Amino acid sequence: MRPSMKRWMWHGVYAVVLLALGFGVYLATARVDYDWRWERIPQYLVGTEGEEIRAPFDGFVDVADDGKSIVLNELKGAGSERYAGFDRLLVGDGDLVFQNDVLARKSGLQAGPLAVGLWVTLEISALSLVFALVLGLVAGLGRVAQNPAARHLAATYVEIIRGTPLLVQIFIFYFFIGTVLSLSAFAAGVAALAVFTGAYVAEIVRAGIEAVPRGQMEAARSLGMNYAQAMRHVILPQAFKKILPPLAGQFINLIKDSSLVSVMALTDLTKAGREVVSSTFSPFEVWFTVAAMYLLLTGGLSWLVRRLEKGMAAGA
Amino acid sequence: MLEPLIHLRKVEKRYANGVRALHDVSLDVKRGEVLCIVGPSGSGKSTLLRALNGLESITGGEVVVDGFAVHDHRTNLNALRRRVGMVFQQFNLFPHKTALENVMLAPTTVLDVPAADARARAQALLDKVGLGDRGASYPAQLSGGQQQRVAIARALAMQPDVMLFDEPTSALDPEKVGEVLDVMRQLAREGMTMLVVTHEMGFARAVAHRVIFMDGGEIVYQDAPEGFFGAPRNERLKAFLGQILK
Ligand SMILES: Nc1ncnc2c1ncn2[C@@H]1O[C@H](COP(=O)(O)OP(=O)(O)OP(=O)(O)O)[C@@H](O)[C@H]1O
Ligand SMILES: [Mg+2]
Repeated sequence: MRPSMKRWMWHGVYAVVLLALGFGVYLATARVDYDWRWERIPQYLVGTEGEEIRAPFDGFVDVADDGKSIVLNELKGAGSERYAGFDRLLVGDGDLVFQNDVLARKSGLQAGPLAVGLWVTLEISALSLVFALVLGLVAGLGRVAQNPAARHLAATYVEIIRGTPLLVQIFIFYFFIGTVLSLSAFAAGVAALAVFTGAYVAEIVRAGIEAVPRGQMEAARSLGMNYAQAMRHVILPQAFKKILPPLAGQFINLIKDSSLVSVMALTDLTKAGREVVSSTFSPFEVWFTVAAMYLLLTGGLSWLVRRLEKGMAAGA
Repeated sequence: MLEPLIHLRKVEKRYANGVRALHDVSLDVKRGEVLCIVGPSGSGKSTLLRALNGLESITGGEVVVDGFAVHDHRTNLNALRRRVGMVFQQFNLFPHKTALENVMLAPTTVLDVPAADARARAQALLDKVGLGDRGASYPAQLSGGQQQRVAIARALAMQPDVMLFDEPTSALDPEKVGEVLDVMRQLAREGMTMLVVTHEMGFARAVAHRVIFMDGGEIVYQDAPEGFFGAPRNERLKAFLGQILK
């Protein structure tokens, strides 16, 4: 067989295995009489029922003659509020409404709960990533420092964080540190993830610095540069190239680990998934969708890092 | 009389693992002198050079270079190292910077020389070592001999009072050795104070004012090249020369 034919054969094997796996999933769900309702999922990604206008207080509705605007007059008090520009009116003239009742809807699309959850996950991950990078750089430099205080502090931080489960750390941040400093669930989540990832970043940074040949530091120092100058201009730029791939892997882990913050009062993508499951009773479809959305985030990050690596390879 | 540029008195160096790398080393080097240091592997030649710019701290005695007491822990070693150039066996160029940037880096970061001045000076130094047209090349794109010449230019960019060379041609292909030695010969002619650890006996004989033989961490013998290579009155040196000139 020619080599190219052989290669196509193995591509074929790959496709067959994938198909077999898919068929296996189908059979498995057929056994438990699961009925797939994929059509229920899109509404949780993108809402079509339109933006709601809700009453800010209890009061009576006064609809204008042309039906294009309404005025809400406060029941106990002199407040009044005028609304216009809606597409569907849900109340009639003279109706008594209570605070938070829906008065009217504007048509248009808005983010469904899964999309909102995706956004929260993205926000938490991006913020934690920035803080983890700073924390990891400082701790990594501490690990390789001459100063014993810096070295021991950094080592202690890394050991404690790497030796305890992230879920336990999240509880500690949420219930203890969060309470003491009165942090929001969001801030506590970001802090826990940043501190956790920072410890791993520190080890990556340390390994990267140690992988730069000793002669580089000696050459820099013998030119009269001080330690900080040598680190900044000579060691770290070289270390950065070595640490980019493991760093990218760590940040992909960060996105996945962020699903654990759903144990707090915080509606990230995973929590949103749980909520949607409880209102649709379609767990398979929802969790497959959620998994695909995480893949979208992690795949996007991998793609970005590959581009960055290519750019750097071209630069030097 | 002028004070010597380098003054060593009873220098001792014992590494943490107990190896005694230098023992009772005393040495004076005058401004403008070219000194070659030879000796078998492990005799302490590198340690001696590295003690001069404080890359290695000594465990006894005194080292004074260019007025700086290197053995004194209060001395600002960064200030000393600006005055002392060092060239390594493995070149140690900065791989993420071009040849020109390698030469510019220390003047711009350490001496705050404006970039334009540093660039002009770096270009002049690359011209001097015969690499004026390779400024934009990265170290990986240069041959060993070219890299070592850039490394010499990089050290010269700080306008040092003394240059230390630790086996600068040992990592080179034989046909590249000459181009590096030529640059060093030119430097010596311009009156640079140089300490050169080398196995190039031809260079030592032709360029050095004085040759030093080290063995077991001690300076065993020293003389002007004529006497050193002509009729050394030392058995260990004779044996060493017999080995190396064979
Ligand atoms: N960092 C170190 N820690 C412990 N021992 C060392 C260290 N550096 C050198 N030594 C030892 O000190 C002695 C002198 O070493 P040095 O490198 O100065 O010799 P050298 O004359 O330069 O040898 P070579 O010709 O092989 O370069 C050797 O025995 C060596 O093993
Ligand atoms: Mg040596």
